[in-house]
Amino acid sequence: MEDAAAIGNVVAQAGLLVLLGPLVTGFIQKLKARLQCRQGASLWQPYRDLAKLLRKGTVQSDSASPFFRAIPVLVLAATVTTTVMLPVLWAPSGPALLPLGDAILLLALLALARFLCAIGALDAGGAFGGMGASREMTVGLLVEPAMMMAVFSVAVAGGTTDLVHLAARRATLPALSWQAPDLLALFAMLVLALAETGRIPVDNPDTHLELTMLHEGMLLEHSGPGLACIVLATHTKQIVILTLVAALFFPLGLAEGSAPVEIALAGAAFLAKLFALATFLGLVESSYAKLRFFRLPQFLGLGLVCAFLALALRIL
Amino acid sequence: MDVPKPLLRGAVWLGHLLILGGASAGATLALRVLIGGTGTLYLTLPRLFPFAQMSLSVDGLSAFFLLVVTLVTAAAALYGPSYLGAHAKAPLVQTFALGVFVACMAGVCCAGDGLTFLLAWEGMTLASYVLVVSDTRSDENTRAGLLYLVMAHAGTAALLVVFLTLAERGHGFDFDALRTAAHSLQGPTRTALFMLALVGFGAKAGVVPLHVWLPKAHPAAPSHASALMSGVMLKVALYGIFRFGFDILAPTDGPVPASWGWTVLVLGTVSAVIGVLLALQQHDLKRLLAFHSVENVGIILIGAGLAMLLTRGRGAEPLATLALAASLLHTLNHAAFKGLLFLGAGSVISRTGVRNMEELGGLARRMPWTTWLFLLGAVAISALPPLNGFVSEWMTFQALLLGVGKLGGASGLLAGVAASMLALTGGLAAACFAKAFGVTFLGRPRSIHAEQATESPAPMIAGMLLLGGACVALGLVPGYAMRLLDGPTQELLGGLGPSAVVSARGPLVLSGTAATSGLAATSISVTAVATLLALLAAVAWALRGWPRRAPRRLAPTWTCGMLPSSRFDYTATAFAKPLRLIFAAVYRPRRAIAKETGPSPYVIRRLGYTGEVVDLAETVLYTRLKRWVTATAQGIRAYSTGRIHGYIAFVLVTLVVALLFFART
Repeated sequence: MEDAAAIGNVVAQAGLLVLLGPLVTGFIQKLKARLQCRQGASLWQPYRDLAKLLRKGTVQSDSASPFFRAIPVLVLAATVTTTVMLPVLWAPSGPALLPLGDAILLLALLALARFLCAIGALDAGGAFGGMGASREMTVGLLVEPAMMMAVFSVAVAGGTTDLVHLAARRATLPALSWQAPDLLALFAMLVLALAETGRIPVDNPDTHLELTMLHEGMLLEHSGPGLACIVLATHTKQIVILTLVAALFFPLGLAEGSAPVEIALAGAAFLAKLFALATFLGLVESSYAKLRFFRLPQFLGLGLVCAFLALALRIL
Repeated sequence: MDVPKPLLRGAVWLGHLLILGGASAGATLALRVLIGGTGTLYLTLPRLFPFAQMSLSVDGLSAFFLLVVTLVTAAAALYGPSYLGAHAKAPLVQTFALGVFVACMAGVCCAGDGLTFLLAWEGMTLASYVLVVSDTRSDENTRAGLLYLVMAHAGTAALLVVFLTLAERGHGFDFDALRTAAHSLQGPTRTALFMLALVGFGAKAGVVPLHVWLPKAHPAAPSHASALMSGVMLKVALYGIFRFGFDILAPTDGPVPASWGWTVLVLGTVSAVIGVLLALQQHDLKRLLAFHSVENVGIILIGAGLAMLLTRGRGAEPLATLALAASLLHTLNHAAFKGLLFLGAGSVISRTGVRNMEELGGLARRMPWTTWLFLLGAVAISALPPLNGFVSEWMTFQALLLGVGKLGGASGLLAGVAASMLALTGGLAAACFAKAFGVTFLGRPRSIHAEQATESPAPMIAGMLLLGGACVALGLVPGYAMRLLDGPTQELLGGLGPSAVVSARGPLVLSGTAATSGLAATSISVTAVATLLALLAAVAWALRGWPRRAPRRLAPTWTCGMLPSSRFDYTATAFAKPLRLIFAAVYRPRRAIAKETGPSPYVIRRLGYTGEVVDLAETVLYTRLKRWVTATAQGIRAYSTGRIHGYIAFVLVTLVVALLFFART
């Protein structure tokens, strides 16, 4: 009985993240539009785009290998798998019955999705795909260790890398046990989240200009339902990163049991955290220009240094 | 040699089948010791020397490394005959050298005394030297072989000092006598001997900065021999580090000195990062893989160094067990995926004759088995889930993170730095293999060789499948492999074995530490996650075609309206360009662009581009060393007159000085 309930909770959380993913993108687009004094597209536009792509036919590059068709599906599967490792509404403090994964596995699965995406881009054999793959892998390898360090700085204090345990433990401590390293780590995470979600100043999700594309460059040869899979994976990755930040630093209002009031509160808290972070992304995107690609190491270096300082401060 | 062709082929096959038989026998023996519970096997060899009894002794650690040796050997033996048949100039010599090489590696792992160890060690070096220089007789190979021989023997010299010091004090060469001798050593002497052993074994294992021979020598051998050199021979050297660091030289009544752990951890971290950074800029497929071996040896040493820092004498310390288990598991994992990758690269090279990945491409349709098996190896080596590379790196991460809390202070910070460098290494490896796999196998063929490639014969695929299967099995159900690690870790550290620490919650769940230690254990189940991944992929695949069977058509890749050709494909050089700029301080990239202009300087006829990156260790350390050695040699030459009585006088003076110096007591 308890097994079934626990599994049900995990599935519900994962489903919630996948379903809300496009809404966050829609929200950020809307926010950007309003800040630019435009009406902007509807909040639900990302869902409509997905539905449209799913109905469309596919045009595939004639030089791509048979594996090319499987890539969008695998990218989506790897990204969606990460959703079961996050505390969204529930954070039971006891040991999980079936432990699935921790923060390291989550970041590794995102790396797997990125790796597959890059392979797909090289498969079609155009210069844009290769350029996008090269840039995305470069940014990825700068972001990944910094993100790991930021996560480690929290994990060292908690003695575990299990995100559910970390969140549950932190929620019980007075003032969420916020210390100086947490501030640094949060700052690092926010810088890195901009890169991981492919937003200005690192990447521009709205452009298809070949000189500025990072993530989009890799997707040029995908079309129809395949593109829908990858776009959904991008939405999901964005919400996963935001939930990760929330789980590491603001594990407020997470439910222990399954009382309706508790769950309603947890849901409200989750939405509040999510849209606060989404607002941050939208505001940064509206107030900064995109950086030149070779300026990015300096920008990401900021995150790297902060994450390292957070870890060092925690240890010493 | 004028041996008829069928006879030659038969002899090569026979040789490889004998090697395969030997490998199976070795694997059976190793498994019997590791999980059969037979205890240490001991065998005295015929008395070859009057002053020492030679023997073989297989305990848990030996058996584990024997298993590593036999796994890759079996795959290489399956793969070898077809590869040599298509490729080699001297297949008989190479088959024989391969047999000697493998036997000597097994001999090093199973040696029961110093003499057997050193003889097998030397045999291993010489046999692999033959393999390095016999494949193609170019100047480059000869020079690589020479460098290898010099480095290997410099290492052996260091080992000789260690062995002779201990043997002299212990009055015997067998390991028990060496242990007794080490027991009475003073702290500084012990540390000095360990550092010497570390240099000796490190030179063979390719630890930075002793790695310069490795990327030159490994690619020169036939590919299945490269697989053995990179996948296994380095491990045999690591066996030496484990044997000396944790067993023979380790103090019996206290912790391992902190300086050992620090040295090994720092060397490991540096090797991991430098190895992968240099690998990223290689365009020769096999050289790229060889640099990755430097990286992976670094990762193995990170775990070993951490275990040294964490161990407290012979007491039970679950964290040290976790670190050592991670290190040993990565040893096995690296043997599996690096063997697979080298065999895959060999498959490409034997069908195309090209090693430069810029001239390959488009092999996915032409060599499907090789392509997908290489991809499997690429995912495994990039430490991506759900394959085996991820499992051992996850365990290393857990050990480092929990070690940070346990150690605190400067050692804790070092462990934290090592953890972040390990994360960087993973990202760099993923970028490197996205490049290596994508440029070699995907896109359009960029040369006639790649265009005409066909799939390799079945025995070669079988060899790769064996290792690919090992990668998948070790990744999906790693809990079962923990039992193999029980023997070695308990011998070296005492206390609980990894099967009680890491897979305490059943073989499908990996835990960071034992639940008994009181720390909240981080647990993951790679098995469950892989199942979920497969399930979600199936659902997504089904959903994709769900709304309606949409039409699918093929069209050329968009190239801005121009006719698509392979010249539009991104090259490996271009792929790695951003990193060349970002890490310019390490690479010191040099490039030269030669312009050939026509009648006016504005009309360019031809453009020539050459670019290279340097290995800092090579330019900074070795060039200076070479200059110094040459200068000294020049100085000595002044006294080298060629008259025999002059030399006799030198010998006499040396003898007198030596007698004065050592005969004072």
